[in-house]
Amino acid sequence: MSRLYGVVAEFDSPEALVEAVRKVRAQGFTRLEACTPFPVHGLDEALGLRRSPLGWFALAAAGVGVAAALLLQWWTGAVDYPLVVGGKPYFALWPSVPITFELAVLLASFATVFGMLALNGLPRLYHPLFEDEEFRRASDDRFVLAVEATDPVFHATETPALLERLGALAVRPVEEKA
Amino acid sequence: MPTTTSVPQPQAAFSYRLEESLWRRGRNVLWIIALAAWAACLFGWATDRYNFLGSYLVHFMFFLTIGWGAMFFVMVQHLTSATWSITLRRLMETIMITVAPVTLLFLPVALGLDVLYKWAAPGFFDPHNPDLAFKRAFFNPPFFLIRAVVYLFVWGVLAFVLYRISVTQDEGNHQESISDARTWSAPGLLVLTITVTMAGVDWVMSLDPFWYSTIFGVYVFSGGALAFIALLILVALALRAAGALGDVITVEHYHDLGKWLFALTVWWAYIAFSQYMLIWYANLPEETAFFHHRAEGSWRYLSLLLVVGHFLLPFLVLLSRAAKRNLTVLGLTAAWILVMHGMDLHWLILPSVHPHGFHLHWLDVATFAGVGSLFGLVFWYRLRSHPMVPVGDLRLAASIAHQNQ
Repeated sequence: MSRLYGVVAEFDSPEALVEAVRKVRAQGFTRLEACTPFPVHGLDEALGLRRSPLGWFALAAAGVGVAAALLLQWWTGAVDYPLVVGGKPYFALWPSVPITFELAVLLASFATVFGMLALNGLPRLYHPLFEDEEFRRASDDRFVLAVEATDPVFHATETPALLERLGALAVRPVEEKA
Repeated sequence: MPTTTSVPQPQAAFSYRLEESLWRRGRNVLWIIALAAWAACLFGWATDRYNFLGSYLVHFMFFLTIGWGAMFFVMVQHLTSATWSITLRRLMETIMITVAPVTLLFLPVALGLDVLYKWAAPGFFDPHNPDLAFKRAFFNPPFFLIRAVVYLFVWGVLAFVLYRISVTQDEGNHQESISDARTWSAPGLLVLTITVTMAGVDWVMSLDPFWYSTIFGVYVFSGGALAFIALLILVALALRAAGALGDVITVEHYHDLGKWLFALTVWWAYIAFSQYMLIWYANLPEETAFFHHRAEGSWRYLSLLLVVGHFLLPFLVLLSRAAKRNLTVLGLTAAWILVMHGMDLHWLILPSVHPHGFHLHWLDVATFAGVGSLFGLVFWYRLRSHPMVPVGDLRLAASIAHQNQ
């Protein structure tokens, strides 16, 4: 048993891919994926991708880091075990800044790395597109546009025809093994 | 947002020069300001030399530190082979070459040495105190002036050579000028950082002859680098408003300048904080005197203003991507940072001149206009003598097409 995952179309230049993505989206397609050997300027915009919320993850984690570090230093130094060192106050803001800064940076970095992995779904060992033997050229010299069969305006014969009219070098259906 | 299909290109027909009538108007305004301000400065020098020199040093350092920032930045761009900044390079160099008049503008400081610097009085450092032997050997008028001549010479040569290399590129020896610029930039950067650190210690830190901070030179420099980016943003925005640059500086370049403004704001704060925290923690009387003085009376408000205005406010504003890409927000932040750089130098220098508190003096206005108009005139004349974009650099088209992902 296998079912249709979608179609892949190969293009030979980033410009052709971006142009095709624009035209396909103008036809109302929404479930698209573009795969390229290197980052292509303008592709995110053509695909209509929203900006990643990753920056907010980092900001929130940094806030937690600041609060946790200040609380830790104040509670240990001034509440739980007050000890006069070098005639300094039990707790003061200035000498607490380095630890506060470091913990904010540490937690923000964790949030960025793990948040990135959570958002992009990596590491991922299998993707239906791997069923297409030629797809591996997307990491070499081909710019690939995949249209999923679950797209509301997908049509098993008209969509490949559309992609061919847009200048695709090859258009192939991709079957997903059940 | 421009996309791959509509990339702005350098236009052959576009001269990248200011309209002659606009240029003349600017020149006339600058000359009028210069003449009026220097008349006021001369009057100040004759009647109130002490206050004059204090205000003069603040504003001399204000423009000089910006020139340092420009030199530093031009060399860093050469050494990193940065492409994004090439379309901005000639504007950077035009700000950099304003360091040329510094030799002349240092004269009032040199002539007023004994008024401004307490250590210039003979016998200031107790000749019998062996702990002060180094200070005696280092801070005395002849050695101070020799050092100053060396700094001024080094900066003059660096600015002149880097500028020269860049403008000869306009005539078509692309590759040669790139390698020349790199050859000068690597040792140049080293020499610049050493002379800048020493000049900061000599000209500003020694106003408080017994106080010392090993990070002080970096502190003055970091403020200058930040103020330079702020000024560059304002200059580019002004030329954009005048329609003189076509579309060679896009929102992508402003976004990158905004990132630099943000990064250098943090750098300045990092250095300022490092200096403060170490002195706070060590709590040694000869070190804390500097901050103690600045925590008293109205100096206290200026200190707080710097924490909030020089760091916190620009930091929070520039954190967001949207703010860096919004030219109004970016321009206002840049202008604000320039004001804060001036306040920072007031805070460094003037407590030694007016120990009892912060106040603005009419000579602050006169010296700012005096020094600023001369820097401005050099900038203005240089701006006309060459295209405002390095048209001979083959990477220019790639630079203009630069995009942030």
